[in-house]
Amino acid sequence: MKKIVAAVLSIAMAASLMAGCSKQTQSENNDVIKIGVFEPMTGANAAGGQLEVEGAKLANKLYPEVLGKKVELVIMDNKSDKVEAASAAARLVEQEKVNAIIGSWGSSLSMAAGDIVKNAKVPAVGASCTNPLVTKGNDYYFRVCFIDPFQGTVMANYAFQKLNAKKAAIIQEVSNDYAVGLSKYFQDEFKKLTGDENSIVAIANYNTGDQDFSAQLTTLKDKNPDVIFAPGNFTESALIIKQARQLGIKAPFIGGDTWETPEFIKIGGKDVEGAVFSTHFTAEKPITKESEKFLAEFKKEYNKEPAAVSALGYDAYLVILDAIKRANSTDSDKIREAIAQTNGFEGAAGMITLNQDGDAVKNAVINVVKDGKFTYLDTVEPKK
Amino acid sequence: MKRRNLILNIVLILLVAVFTIYAQKNMDAYKLRILNLCAIYTILGLSMNLINGFTGQFSLGHAGFMAIGAYTTALLTMKIEFKEQIFYMKPLIYPLNSISMPFLPSLLIAGFLSALVGYMIGAPALRLKGDYLAIATLGFAEIIRVIITNAQSVTNGALGIKMIPTYTNLYWSFGFAVLTVVFMFLLINSSYGRAFKAIREDEIAAENMGINLYKHKMMSFVIGAFLAGLGGGLLGNLLGTIDPSMFKFVLTFNILLIIVLGGMGSISGTVISAFIITILGEVLRFLDKPMNLGFIKTPGIPGLRMVVFSLLLMIVVLFFRDGLMGTRELSWDSIQNVFVKFRKLVGKGGVKNESFEG
Repeated sequence: MKKIVAAVLSIAMAASLMAGCSKQTQSENNDVIKIGVFEPMTGANAAGGQLEVEGAKLANKLYPEVLGKKVELVIMDNKSDKVEAASAAARLVEQEKVNAIIGSWGSSLSMAAGDIVKNAKVPAVGASCTNPLVTKGNDYYFRVCFIDPFQGTVMANYAFQKLNAKKAAIIQEVSNDYAVGLSKYFQDEFKKLTGDENSIVAIANYNTGDQDFSAQLTTLKDKNPDVIFAPGNFTESALIIKQARQLGIKAPFIGGDTWETPEFIKIGGKDVEGAVFSTHFTAEKPITKESEKFLAEFKKEYNKEPAAVSALGYDAYLVILDAIKRANSTDSDKIREAIAQTNGFEGAAGMITLNQDGDAVKNAVINVVKDGKFTYLDTVEPKK
Repeated sequence: MKRRNLILNIVLILLVAVFTIYAQKNMDAYKLRILNLCAIYTILGLSMNLINGFTGQFSLGHAGFMAIGAYTTALLTMKIEFKEQIFYMKPLIYPLNSISMPFLPSLLIAGFLSALVGYMIGAPALRLKGDYLAIATLGFAEIIRVIITNAQSVTNGALGIKMIPTYTNLYWSFGFAVLTVVFMFLLINSSYGRAFKAIREDEIAAENMGINLYKHKMMSFVIGAFLAGLGGGLLGNLLGTIDPSMFKFVLTFNILLIIVLGGMGSISGTVISAFIITILGEVLRFLDKPMNLGFIKTPGIPGLRMVVFSLLLMIVVLFFRDGLMGTRELSWDSIQNVFVKFRKLVGKGGVKNESFEG
């Protein structure tokens, strides 16, 4: 019995090896432009990765050709794992010989690919990786979203101008690079706006996966802040708001784009009513002509409301395609040059202009939870 | 016989050296990366096997030791001007912000620091046995990760570190892997190694034979921690970027998978399984893609290749408890035996060996 199982197993393994080899040798076709998509399709970040891939796939369907050549998406799973992300990126570059790369959801996964795309001189465009370090010191990494510093500043301005807040408290997900970044820039801006070094009355930390926040919230309550900034994962944030209301905290909660998931409202229920957050995109108010097209096609294709990251995945594809068109070449270096010069490009999630770091300078949208739905509130223009 | 084995061993190491030089010069970045990972996982697998397989102490703290190794090496090797750029939220504390060292001393310091932490963790935890030890070490690994997340002025917290010089190449990774394998063979076949195995088989009997349980467990644990730190350092400098979420329990599980499939208590098993699992993970990527099987077309199912590993693990646990090698080792004698058996088998079948050669 054992021997049979062993034999079958080894044959299966051998067969899989062969199959793997044969796949790689085929389709060395010069008439195809390959764009690699490396995203977490499995693991902890799978939900976000899937949404971005949906956006990129839709873009590929609507714009399947450039320079008279067919564009092929090569989707590579990075398992939400840094080591795997680096391997996936290397595979895209070396084995699949892609001309450009889209990805990845999760800044740390994008960073793992940073050195690889830099050494191979293949341009990469991130969709929703907002950590400033992703593009820092890397000429080959770009992104179509704004970065954490901008979002933090936007919310500080909102709190100061619209909510007339003089004292703010922060409860941040300390194990999340995104939350820590937002919190830092919120603090800096808020202190500058109020002109008061002590305007941030309390900073509380929690870890991903925490369930009980009563200790942190009690400290915040004692300081009696006008507003509470709570950047972090949607599950934990919804729980925080819920528990805060139970403790009798009345101050409004504001946060970042991670809140924009159906789960946030599902978990928070009535308590998250009035929660305000900044995000990249709203389905309610099309920003550009491209957004209208995107909204209509997305609903037709997937039969649901698009998420902001889907729009960003869509934009990442379009930016690359536009760059290929302008460069009039499939040479990776020329594409890179063209991407770097992207200026006032009309994407689904707003006009995209890339600055010298390769970060998009664009509008932020402010949404509020109203009647169990995300409702558009305001648009904030970038400074400068 | 012994002389022959020695010569063959030296020849094998030379062959590996030749292969390393050839591969480093001729292969593309992707293949090099996979080979580097194979070697690093070999080191990590061996270090875990020393504690779990040879000494029989069920420890799950490997991710923690790797984190210490990776962060130490990263902080020591990074260029000073990059440190200022990366630590833009909270500056790096003195003296780390003015140090930039070559790779080798950084790796060794990382290993020793990891061993030191291993000693401090082992001192209380190794009094526990079985599952309790597993839970305690798992807890310690998590504590290390939480400390790293919160110590922003040393580790940059959740933002992670990038621009770590990517020193790790095949010379480093294969060099250290070969050294580790040789060291493990010497250790396991020494009196210490026999003491480790005795503890694994029966602690009370071992103690009766005059083996100092605590001392030997500690020794195994500290050496394991040293190697894990070393492996972590190599991994960090291979990727060029690290962050705390990398060192979650899943990382420990990956290494556990390698040693369970390879055989708890087999050096050669660990080496073989580290290579097979790392390479298979990449080869099986075609499973995630849409497939055309002739009669049926499947849409791309992400994660299908992971199912293969789950199945493999289930089959191994159900039918082949000992993994690929069990506690046996692949040696020149065993290879010779296989050849002898094969000859007999062929001989029985009525075909003469000479006809093959002639």
